[in-house]
Amino acid sequence: MSIIRSALREIAINLHSKPGARLITLLMVAMAFIVFNTFLIISWNLQNIMDREESLAGMEVFLERDITQVEGRVIGDLVSSLQGVKSVYYVSPQEADALFRAELPGRIDLLDVMGSEFRLPASLQVAFDGEAMSQGRIEDLSRSIRAMEGVDDAVYGESYLPGLMKTVTTIRRLVILLGIVLVSSISLVVFYTVRLSVVRRSLTVDIMRTVGAPWWFIRVPFVIEGIFMGIAGSAGGLALAAVLSEVLSSAVTHRFMPLSWIVLVILLGAVTGTVGALAGSYEKER
Amino acid sequence: MLVTMSGVRMSYGRWPALDKVDMEIKQGEFLVISGPSGAGKTTLLRLIWMGDKPDFGIVEVSGFRSDRIRKRELPRLRRKIGIVFQDFRLLHSRTIFENVALPLQVTGAGSRVVQKRVISLLARMGLSHRRNSFPHELSGGEQQRVAIARAMVGHPVILLADEPTGNLDPEVSREVVDLLLEINRGGTTVVMATHDPRQVPAGKGRFLFLDKGVLRGADQWIELEQKS
Repeated sequence: MSIIRSALREIAINLHSKPGARLITLLMVAMAFIVFNTFLIISWNLQNIMDREESLAGMEVFLERDITQVEGRVIGDLVSSLQGVKSVYYVSPQEADALFRAELPGRIDLLDVMGSEFRLPASLQVAFDGEAMSQGRIEDLSRSIRAMEGVDDAVYGESYLPGLMKTVTTIRRLVILLGIVLVSSISLVVFYTVRLSVVRRSLTVDIMRTVGAPWWFIRVPFVIEGIFMGIAGSAGGLALAAVLSEVLSSAVTHRFMPLSWIVLVILLGAVTGTVGALAGSYEKER
Repeated sequence: MLVTMSGVRMSYGRWPALDKVDMEIKQGEFLVISGPSGAGKTTLLRLIWMGDKPDFGIVEVSGFRSDRIRKRELPRLRRKIGIVFQDFRLLHSRTIFENVALPLQVTGAGSRVVQKRVISLLARMGLSHRRNSFPHELSGGEQQRVAIARAMVGHPVILLADEPTGNLDPEVSREVVDLLLEINRGGTTVVMATHDPRQVPAGKGRFLFLDKGVLRGADQWIELEQKS
């Protein structure tokens, strides 16, 4: 137990000594994380915009006039079972009428011209599963739906939807690629910063070795310090990014990243800090 | 034998540091290893505390063989050895008491044992009044005495002193050598590496000389000196 108490004392001594050098290391780690956090905030908001755009993109399937509500809902079920379809909403003739009147109040006279017997057809509003969709898929889907019995026509934004899907997919891939590059870069920055702070205290490691300290006694304090530096640095980066986000919120409408991402950022700091400290202490212990 | 070296060779890259060194050190001996800078004195001491392993040959220290020792056994060996360096190597963020206590703390000694042993050793070294000071507040001689106290605190069987007077003026150097001799009289084996063997009075120890990595006895050395 005494040796564990001594190891704990070493950790306390390590964390208290050279506060200036430790502050510089912390700032380095925090600065690296600010860049990363800014990227995360941008990609999080971009993701939300893309999700919203995708949810607006869809297909309108007009049913034949003699289709009953029950038959219409059966066709809706069939459509929703097709690959790439996220959801299907059945719009009855009455609802279609109400929607027309609500959305196009200036054109209500058109309905009056058609006479009291005229009824808008029932339809299905089909939403796509954005990630699974491509231009070819949408075309295949529209062909399959048009071929269904009871379907009069299926329309979608042929002119813009394929382009939108392609753009969204490309942006997503770019964000992932940039994310990988940034995670690698930040990991290296934290790794080398923490490693340097450990190597800087090579005299402590040398003396520990010569007086017969076991390997864990030498390494554990550095590892604890690495974890602390990683967590504190990433949390500091998050705090600074939050301040930056708040300052810019009036100029650019956006949201801060979700809690799960915040946890992942802190975890990344802890892991890279630990690995950096381990590498630094191992390098000196050899 | 406390230390045995047989057929030891060691080089740093293409630079030979020790060549075919055969040597024995007996328990309780005071051994002075002398030679010019770069002769291999520090390398020889590093081989004893197994900071390095020889390229060829075997070093055996207190039952630990360089060719068989496992990494996890190194701390056990090093707890039997006290080391003093020319540049003192004290931890500047710790007090004198903490510096001296370190070898005991890494072995898990209880705080009462640490307290008792460190205080008594500091008193023996004449450093009791300095126990709460930091190394930079001490003179060179005092720092070296702290380093010797740290080396002795764990009751080592052998004390290695690598140029212990290298940074000290002649008067303080004499004090340090006297302290090492006193430690040796207490039964601890002392190996002192120095470029100036005259620091140790004749008859007080065994003298060996290193010349470009080759170990020579005192007679051979005098012969070589006369020829050159």
